[in-house]
Amino acid sequence: MRDRSTYFGFALFAVFLALVPLTAANEYSLRLFMIFFIYAVIALGLNVLVGLAGLISLGQAGLFALGSYAGAILSTRAGFDLVTSSIVAILISSVFGALLAYPTVRVRGVYLAVITIAFGLIVENIAIELQSLTGGTTGISGIPKPSAFGISLLGMRYYWVLAFILFFVALVTHNLKRSKYGRAMLAVSQSETAAQSVGLNVTSIRTLAFVVSAGTAGLAGVLYAFLNSYISPDIFTFSDSVRFLLMVIFGGAGTTTGSLIGALILTYLPEYLQQLQYWQKFAYGLLLAVVMFVLPLGVFGTFAEVFRRFRPQARSADVTNVLPVEDAVRDQKSGAPGGAELAASGLTVRFGGLTALNNVALKVRPAEIHALIGPNGAGKSTFVNTVTGFYQPDSGHFDIDGAKLNGQAPHTIARKGFARTFQNTELFGELSVMENIMVGYQRRFTYNFLDAAIRSPRFNRQEDECKTVALSLLAFVHLADYAHERARFLPFGLQRRLEIARALAAAPRLLLLDEPAAGLTTQEIEDLDGMIRRIASLGISILLIEHHVDLIMSVADRVTVLDYGVVIASDVPPVIQDNPRVVEAYFGTPAITARVAS
Amino acid sequence: MSDNRKASIYLAAIIAAASISASASAQQEPCIGNSVALTGPAAFGGLAVKYGAEVAIDEINEKGGVLGKKLSLIQYDDAGAPPRGVDNVRRIALSDKCVAILGGYHSTVGLAQVDAVNEIGIPWIGTTGANTKIIENGKSPNYMFRVSMKDKWVAQYLADQALKISKSGKVAIMFENTGWGNGAIGDFKAGMGAKGKEASAAETFNWADQDMTAQVIRIRDSGADTVVLFALDREGNQILRSMDKLGYKPTIVSAWGLAGNLGELAGPLANGVRVIQTYSWMGDMSPKGKAIWEKIQKKYGLKDPSELKMGSATANSYDAVYILAKAIEKAGAYDWKKVRDALYTVELQGLVANYKPAFDASNPERQDAILPENYQMTAWSDGKLLPIAQTPYGKSQ
Amino acid sequence: MQAVVQYVLSGLAIGGIYALVALGFHIMWSAARAVNFAHGDTLMLGAVLTIMGIDAGLPLSIAVAVSIAASCLFGVLLERFAVRPFAKTSASIGWMLTTIAVGIMLEALVTMRFGGFSRALPSPGVTHAISIFGAGVYPQELLIPVVAILIMVGFGWVRRRTLIGRAMQAVSFDRSAAALMGINVNAIFALSFGLAAALGGAAGILVAPVTQASATMGLILGLKGFAVAIIGGITSAPGVVIAGLGFGILEKFVEGYISTAAREIIGFSVTILVLLIFPQGLFGKREVFKV
Repeated sequence: MRDRSTYFGFALFAVFLALVPLTAANEYSLRLFMIFFIYAVIALGLNVLVGLAGLISLGQAGLFALGSYAGAILSTRAGFDLVTSSIVAILISSVFGALLAYPTVRVRGVYLAVITIAFGLIVENIAIELQSLTGGTTGISGIPKPSAFGISLLGMRYYWVLAFILFFVALVTHNLKRSKYGRAMLAVSQSETAAQSVGLNVTSIRTLAFVVSAGTAGLAGVLYAFLNSYISPDIFTFSDSVRFLLMVIFGGAGTTTGSLIGALILTYLPEYLQQLQYWQKFAYGLLLAVVMFVLPLGVFGTFAEVFRRFRPQARSADVTNVLPVEDAVRDQKSGAPGGAELAASGLTVRFGGLTALNNVALKVRPAEIHALIGPNGAGKSTFVNTVTGFYQPDSGHFDIDGAKLNGQAPHTIARKGFARTFQNTELFGELSVMENIMVGYQRRFTYNFLDAAIRSPRFNRQEDECKTVALSLLAFVHLADYAHERARFLPFGLQRRLEIARALAAAPRLLLLDEPAAGLTTQEIEDLDGMIRRIASLGISILLIEHHVDLIMSVADRVTVLDYGVVIASDVPPVIQDNPRVVEAYFGTPAITARVAS
Repeated sequence: MSDNRKASIYLAAIIAAASISASASAQQEPCIGNSVALTGPAAFGGLAVKYGAEVAIDEINEKGGVLGKKLSLIQYDDAGAPPRGVDNVRRIALSDKCVAILGGYHSTVGLAQVDAVNEIGIPWIGTTGANTKIIENGKSPNYMFRVSMKDKWVAQYLADQALKISKSGKVAIMFENTGWGNGAIGDFKAGMGAKGKEASAAETFNWADQDMTAQVIRIRDSGADTVVLFALDREGNQILRSMDKLGYKPTIVSAWGLAGNLGELAGPLANGVRVIQTYSWMGDMSPKGKAIWEKIQKKYGLKDPSELKMGSATANSYDAVYILAKAIEKAGAYDWKKVRDALYTVELQGLVANYKPAFDASNPERQDAILPENYQMTAWSDGKLLPIAQTPYGKSQ
Repeated sequence: MQAVVQYVLSGLAIGGIYALVALGFHIMWSAARAVNFAHGDTLMLGAVLTIMGIDAGLPLSIAVAVSIAASCLFGVLLERFAVRPFAKTSASIGWMLTTIAVGIMLEALVTMRFGGFSRALPSPGVTHAISIFGAGVYPQELLIPVVAILIMVGFGWVRRRTLIGRAMQAVSFDRSAAALMGINVNAIFALSFGLAAALGGAAGILVAPVTQASATMGLILGLKGFAVAIIGGITSAPGVVIAGLGFGILEKFVEGYISTAAREIIGFSVTILVLLIFPQGLFGKREVFKV
């Protein structure tokens, strides 16, 4: 049903694009509309970066400039036509987009934004400095009229070219949003840690977002150069970068329609404020303030939110005929049966002078439920974070089914079949419960970017499979009633279950549960007990980190006990229960215990 | 989201339709468009143009307008940014449908507008920006006219003056890194070459630069005792300060970028800086000039002619409007092509010069109306920019 | 040789300006972990309001006092309404956009009132140049880095030796814990932003005689000042001062030997490189995040 209304929306958009030229009063107003097309292309691309991946870029004018100058220089000096100069421009700006993504590995938030600002200023000044190439402050004039394959594209023809390109970009970015890529970007922006734990390569996803936004900006740049016949560094200032960002966030970050509306408003606003330039600047500042203070979801985002309040979508999903969970957690492709074996030995992790883990050895046998317990500060969290790749051990190694894991990044480890939940729940808060589970399925997709862009049959088939699995898991954890609820509104106990469902969606062979019972009521712990048993019965190995002794004794096959970073016991539960060292670690000296016992 | 898409597309359609006004007309309107820097560091240049044009239009309208219609001035601010200037050309010609455009203060903007103006075919009359290639742009038919200086002649004039003043015979030049400055350096080198000389040093700088000591050191070390400047007041002030810091006091002969608020910015450092102009409102004025000054004073609330910065631009644009009005009369219609052809037939006793005729179709150099014989030298003296004869520096002429 | 001395001296002068701006960022960050991205505009306010005060007939000292007070008030109000609601967690960056928005609006409004052109702010420190090894410099220009160092030392002393300084440190490490200790966290925020803004205003007055005052002088100064703060390590006052002076000297050399556009290119490229290699700045402290 969703798809049908999207088709309708785009069809309406196409009609709109076709009718506008008939209403244009003169060449100038038509031209202005074409400028809106170009800005809309920038906004749609930037929306992927800002709205989906959650990265603020205040240097988009620099990428726009790269495309523009590439097009202008190639056409004036080398006689390139629209098509060839567009391809080169997109390539150049995409490369720089990828370069801009690299800093996200090292720096966050504000610092990244400053890098984008610096980038924009560098490009602007290069345009001023390399006079012989770029014409310096005078710019490049006399850019030839656009043509492609020998056909001239004057006047209305160029209008159709731009309209078509805009439509295409809107379609592709929209499809991207509703694919594994879009979900991945949203996931990464909402919880980098959880994203890594389901196998998402955070850096590549961010790079993809940057490349998409850069490529579209570069394309827009070329189109602009050919439309205007003249470019100069004054078109690509910091003020313009602010304007492009505004188009996305004022319109409504994350929504395709929002970007279009934002671009429209911010193309026509300067027209009405032509009087004096400082009114334009004031207006940009004011709009930015309005978005930040009053309309954080932007114009369209707020509109959509209000709409949703009045026409609420059903929260629950129909799970009457779902796939049995046994099939849901089995990866059809790899088909590797049974749980994995995790073997860690000699693991040592130091933080400065503190040795958190000291020569720890642990083995989780296939399809075993293995519990790891210990008092607070024993090193359990450190162990968990080390074997999932978030910390690097100072010595020792660990592997899964013999494949070495130490030194690998969290997402690589996750892709080897190792899923986990978190002590402090790390959900993708703004995504729905269903979508959270779908993100968990991510590593099982095999379709590529092109499939997503055009919604190929392979894409549709795999997305359907994903939804089927998600529904099955929803039923398994009894969350079907909350399917379309936003994850962060879920009650705490249910959030825990969602994390489990998400982890299972990846068809893991080893599941690590980090204090899943913390904060749960007695009834909820009983339900958890049953769920853990059920998961193990599916053939998945489980490593359970817990404090609740009752749960452990009930469910675990083997228990390992940590104290001050050292393994002090590892055996079956009854033996552990009576082990004096374990008792001492938890309760103090044996003497006290004796007194308590008697 | 899906239903929202519907609603949103409708919303967008309405916004777009509302912003595209539906009107149609074939003839041009009796308006003169003006794209000029009304904001930004050289805003007084734009204001000066506006004042001259508005006063001229008022006078013409009082006498009944042109071809029975009253003229109006449509003003746009390009803040000295060339892309804005180009956009304004299109807006003025295609949306406002004015009969002509007046050019503004910045040469860089004028240069950018050449292609658009000639492509559309609307008469453009420059009032200040003096770069040679704006007018001698190789296009035919050429729709760019100008009632202002031409840097080719300005550079020759300044070179001659500098060589006359210089005792060591070494003259250097500093020019801003814009269309104006970069065009001027070529003209200057040609001008020096015509006298068999070369500049001892040629240094450039960017807008908003604050420290030119690096360039000044090189100029000083070249032995120059006279420096020609193609700079605006803001940068000119910093240049003077850099020279002051280094204890270097050459005589400065400058193009009219320093005709704004240099005296106020640089204080005593500005004394003796010579600036070339087409007209001065200071000191003794002709009766015609006095009458116009009184109108400017009343209309814009100015107290003293020294408050009219970049006064040459006012005089130029005043004359430009009158020339244009006469051309429209002669053309008999508000038609771009006819008005352009008629411009070549206009003769006028203007404020700056006696135009006989204003433009000459047979000579591409003569799309410029003001000739070197009309150029005047002024100099800063105690915060006022006076005709050089009225200052202590007039004797060295 | 003389050119080299000239570049160094001019570099110290402009570097001193960057250091002053960067110190303002340091002061704000050291309490709130957020800054006024429009901090450059506090310099503009100081300079512009002083000139407007003189225009209105106020004696210089009163005009200076009024404009510094106004800058301080601007900082306090900005923190209260544009920063605090958007800096709730250490990861939020909403304050960056809100302060940019306010800065843009402020500049536009000041341009309307003050005009777009530069105006001079007279000062005895720029009437006569002094010559050092053949290089010329105004005494005021040399005063600026000296003032920067004094402020650096002064603020460092306040942080380490006074109760308020320690309270600021506590707030920057853990707001909730500081509040539980009885520290009025909001007052500390207001104080740090107000102090930084007042210093900014004073810096603007110090700087205007050298660079001229204009409504747009704040933007690029603020940007470069922030770049310098990042390079030096925004948590370290000596770090930002050293980085500022060094950056200024680097700029002058590039400007002298190549051009001013090259100066911006190289300056910002260095900023990016430093950020990539030393994410916490050259002298800043590394922060470890627990998963």
